[in-house]
Amino acid sequence: MELAAHVLAWLTDPAHWQGADGIPVRIVQHVEASGVSVLAAAVIALPIGLAVGHSGRGGFVIGSVANLGRALPSFALLLMLIPVAVNLRLDFSTWPILGAMVLLAIPPMITNAHAGMREVDRDLVEAARGMGMSGAQVLLRLELPLALPVILTGMRLAAVQVVATYTLGAVAGGGGLGRYIYDGFARQDTPRMLAGAGLVALLAIATDVAFEVVARITAPHGLGAGERPGGTESVGRLIQESGV
Amino acid sequence: MIPRPDGGNRPAWSRKQRGNPVRLFRILALGASTLVLASACAAGGSATPAATAAAASAQPSQAASAAASPAVQSAPPSTAASAAASAATNTIAGQLAFGGPPECPQRPFCLIGLQKVYGLTFKSFVPLDAGGPLTVAALETGKVQVGLLFTSDPSIQVDGFVLLNDDRHLQASDNIAPVIRTAVLQAHPDIATLLNQISAKLTQAQLTSLNKQVTVDKSDPKDVARAWLQQNGFVPTGGSNKGTIVVGSTNFSEQLVLAELYSQQLEANGYTVTRKFNLGSREVVQPAIQSGQIDLYPEYLASLTEYLDNGAGLATTDPAKTSAVLAGLLKPKGESVLAYAPATDENGFVVTKATAQQYGLVNVSDLAKPAP
Repeated sequence: MELAAHVLAWLTDPAHWQGADGIPVRIVQHVEASGVSVLAAAVIALPIGLAVGHSGRGGFVIGSVANLGRALPSFALLLMLIPVAVNLRLDFSTWPILGAMVLLAIPPMITNAHAGMREVDRDLVEAARGMGMSGAQVLLRLELPLALPVILTGMRLAAVQVVATYTLGAVAGGGGLGRYIYDGFARQDTPRMLAGAGLVALLAIATDVAFEVVARITAPHGLGAGERPGGTESVGRLIQESGV
Repeated sequence: MIPRPDGGNRPAWSRKQRGNPVRLFRILALGASTLVLASACAAGGSATPAATAAAASAQPSQAASAAASPAVQSAPPSTAASAAASAATNTIAGQLAFGGPPECPQRPFCLIGLQKVYGLTFKSFVPLDAGGPLTVAALETGKVQVGLLFTSDPSIQVDGFVLLNDDRHLQASDNIAPVIRTAVLQAHPDIATLLNQISAKLTQAQLTSLNKQVTVDKSDPKDVARAWLQQNGFVPTGGSNKGTIVVGSTNFSEQLVLAELYSQQLEANGYTVTRKFNLGSREVVQPAIQSGQIDLYPEYLASLTEYLDNGAGLATTDPAKTSAVLAGLLKPKGESVLAYAPATDENGFVVTKATAQQYGLVNVSDLAKPAP
């Protein structure tokens, strides 16, 4: 109880809400770096996942590579990338952790993009082709909208993981909320450490909720929330709507 | 159904679904701009990082580096820092970034001491590691101009750094000495004799040489320790089955060599040694020895004293006095300190040769001189 009071006192101390080491600055750094990592990973992962899912070839390779990627410890990646950054004369507090976060975010996005595409009912794809839609039309108008909830789930998983793991960046002198955790440990300042951990947890939850909202807004028409894309019910609805 | 060229009667679902990817991109764009706005607000006075962040969608990398550079520059801990800031920028220190371990702003032999004893306020403090590879890299790449390395660190010579002379004697005596659980010492009094023999022969030159062999020449600490013991005439006195001793160490290479020296000396004299090396910082090792998870490990007189008295400044520049004070602090914790070595491993403040030449730096006090 006493510790909880110390943590609360730490969080409500106005001195901790201003300056370069203040909570708002640390949160913005954390969100910014996590956002950049997830966007960069999406630029790499989504086209690959969509292409493989659309073509239906190479799924096994994608699965294996993604699983291998999941097994890579971010901490080791971070430390291995530091000498690389130093040799390239890049800021070692910024780049190695971003690299590690991009590699952390790619596997869930790639597997979900692929899985989302494969879960689209093959009969629907056949029907669309039968109506003369080109490959690009099938991808953009049928497969992508139907796979979107699963793709977004992948991005959500990746984003929550990145927000939680970006704390490692503090080890290499980086910013973000990890600073409170790492500095708190180094200075035997337990309230600082716990406050940092709590803020990271809150930010991860906020990220999760934000993606939930995006998922609801972008849910394909004809799909109820939580319904599997390409399921018989949705097909029925789509067929009804299309007036076939 | 056949698609018609006029498109007027396209399937309803294709029309309805079409908007979705577009809407997703709109939402992403909205998110990105919110992010930029938020960072602009937080950046406050310094508009440059925020402006760079505005280019986030085009060049995310730039935005990240621009945002992260003020990130690491945490303010010095002193509340007087802002008041002293205007005066401090006129000094050499006020133009230089200082890199050290994250706990440095709260340590009397680090930033607190530099402020109190030398009156130094640096442009910024960059939290790195305790005299490790990050600090060396930060000095080499110009991320910081002044760094904290340990006086026994061979990279000062290897990388051509200039160790500034501690002319006002901020650093107290950080001589090396084994710390042991009192219960173990009482059960095995000969351990004191065995380890004191090592401490007696461990000079500063010897310690730096041991460190160089491990960190620069990449030799195995085990081999380095074995060779040193042989060269210094340590002969096994025999004996066997004297019991098992758990030797610990913190996580830097000097500690590994020292812990190896202690371990091999004990093994050569009838003890079985369990090695629990690389346990982390003092914050991990002290609880470990207090709870009996390890029996002994190499320590530093002044640093441990200040750790135990919470920076009250009980450590002095006299190793004998500091050792006595430390023994008193360790007693209630069930720990004892054995004889200390002549070799020290103190905080040293280093700059690159280029920085030393640019500002004419020899002593730490030179950093307080007016900037050119």
